Amino acid sequence: MDSISRSRRRRLSAAAVLGAIALTATACGGGSSSEGDTVVIGYTGPLSGGGAAYGENVKIGLEMVIDDLNADGVEVDGNPVTLELKSLDDKYAPSTAASNAQRLADQDEAPVVVSPNAGAIKAIQQINSGRSNFLISAYTSDPAIVQADNPLTMMIPPNFESYAEEFSETAMKHGGEKLALLGTQSEYGQQWTKSITDAWSEASGKIGGDNSIDYATVSDFAGPVSKALAEKPDAIFVGGPSQPTALIMEEARKQGFEGSFLVMDQAKLDEMATVTKLDNLKNSVGVLPVSEYEDPGTEDFLKKFGEKAGEKKVPTSETALNYQGIAIIAKAMEVAGTTDDPEKIREAINEALPEVDDKYKVNGFPDEITEQGHLLSPNLEATFLDEDGEYTKVPIEQVSDDK
Amino acid sequence: MTLFIQQLFNGLALGGVYCLAAIGLTLVFGVLRIPNLAHGALYMLGAYITYFFLTTVGVPYIAAIGIAAIMLFVVGVGLERLVFHPLRNSPHTHHMIAAVGAMFFFQALAQAIWGADFRRMDTPITGELRILGAEISAQRIVIIVTAVIVLALLAWFIKRSIHGQTIEAIEQDRVGASLVGINPSMVAMLTLGLSALLATIAAGLVAPINLLSPTMGDALNLKVFAIIILGGLGSLPGAIVGGFALAIAETMTATYISSAVGETVAFVVLVAVLAIKPNGLFTKAVQR
Repeated sequence: MDSISRSRRRRLSAAAVLGAIALTATACGGGSSSEGDTVVIGYTGPLSGGGAAYGENVKIGLEMVIDDLNADGVEVDGNPVTLELKSLDDKYAPSTAASNAQRLADQDEAPVVVSPNAGAIKAIQQINSGRSNFLISAYTSDPAIVQADNPLTMMIPPNFESYAEEFSETAMKHGGEKLALLGTQSEYGQQWTKSITDAWSEASGKIGGDNSIDYATVSDFAGPVSKALAEKPDAIFVGGPSQPTALIMEEARKQGFEGSFLVMDQAKLDEMATVTKLDNLKNSVGVLPVSEYEDPGTEDFLKKFGEKAGEKKVPTSETALNYQGIAIIAKAMEVAGTTDDPEKIREAINEALPEVDDKYKVNGFPDEITEQGHLLSPNLEATFLDEDGEYTKVPIEQVSDDK
Repeated sequence: MTLFIQQLFNGLALGGVYCLAAIGLTLVFGVLRIPNLAHGALYMLGAYITYFFLTTVGVPYIAAIGIAAIMLFVVGVGLERLVFHPLRNSPHTHHMIAAVGAMFFFQALAQAIWGADFRRMDTPITGELRILGAEISAQRIVIIVTAVIVLALLAWFIKRSIHGQTIEAIEQDRVGASLVGINPSMVAMLTLGLSALLATIAAGLVAPINLLSPTMGDALNLKVFAIIILGGLGSLPGAIVGGFALAIAETMTATYISSAVGETVAFVVLVAVLAIKPNGLFTKAVQR
């Protein structure tokens, strides 16, 4: 008898909990769309699972810019507008990202959805200009997303293909002619590997076998590193998330490698220095750390970032470029005089760019958006970390986004 | 030849880690008859707690692993009591769903406490040893030696001590063991606790050469399942042989064929074993 009543009690309490959850859910959904002067900026990214750190970095940038914009006041068509960030977790799955984006656009009437992953962006591009209309603020350096000719996409970072030539040249100069490939096995990693392979062969260097490994699943990097070093390379291409990349470079130095590294843009040299000694990272060419930029707003941005995320955390371009990106969109809303017409907002971006306040220019601020929707910064720079641990800027010529 | 020696030691170190993790899983399968899908999450939690004691509290490395191992023993016991015990009479799928639930819970917990960022655990054991021309880091030697010692202690515990013998008794014959007065429920708790403890030692050993993240257990989870299927579900010698065999096969294929093939070896082995010898290399005499 006792056990029956207990199980019934449990069932009742379970029902009560479910009911409460359902109520809260509807309350949330209804609340945000009914307030007239609040505009939701949607964000779908990996907030749990293997990509969570990356997704969180993007989210910090979005939170920072929305706080700053609200503090400064955004005024569209004479009315003050409050921006609100709404984040959904997609665990890096494109299909989930697409349904999240749909939800943000339909339920929250978000005119803009931010997504930091090429696969997800491609999925969202299927639904953003048709039944629902919204602008994708696309954080990926894969040019395929602008090649798709989607009228409502704004690609934020530079095209990764721009780096290959200069990276190869620099690494060859400081290392030598023989390259070993030790990139990550993700789709993006493989695109990079191919791009570097092409550029290296074009510069008539020699390339060993493809030793790409999955940075996320390998338990011990010593094996793959030994294998790559057995080819006696002068330069090694590495790259995936910063921290495992740093470990691979450390292991290579430990095993006696003295040549140069080409570091894929996903890995950031300053972030890598938080898990390994700077000595292990020297003689590498990679993207310029955010803290090395000299845009008008960089210094303040770094200070604010330190306050928000803690002094130990290194700001990366995921945070900085998305900070910049939403500031551009907010200005475009003001110029277009609308918060709910994504086409007009997209059209207004070119006009809005010069009007963006200096404080939002933090990480190579763009001066134009291409017809296909790619923000272009006038001078793109990478960096070479030399023997003294100093960052030397390396100018990069940007390649066309066309295939 | 130098490359071969180098990779052999890398393979042995990896094998030590695989073994420690796989043995716990196989013990749990032997006693509770469930595939504990949350095993990788316990390993991850063990690594974070070791990290916490080593870096945040500041106790010495070995002590940090010890404290974490004891804490994880308690977590393991708790997992048995709160999750698996209430489900003991339900169909098997319920255990698996519950284990997956526990896995996500632990991952979310770790992310809430330590954040999603990768973390590095520095080891006090530094330096390299030169063996026949190969550079082997001291940490890898420590992994191999510790794994051997822990495995020996475990073998002694299960074969010689009274509590360990109850584990084997339950594995062999649950009803018979109950009849002679062994409490299966106590043994179940002991086994899950022990499996979490062993996973923590493995995690504490490997953490300095890898990184901590809330999902670090996922890759290991797949590998250890392949190992215990290869060795025979529930078999201790199977887990040991399977662990080393898989690790060495992985490193050697990666070295002499390609890295991509190396990563798939575990699954090729898994499919081959299931097709040719589904009971694994060391079949247990008693099946339920």
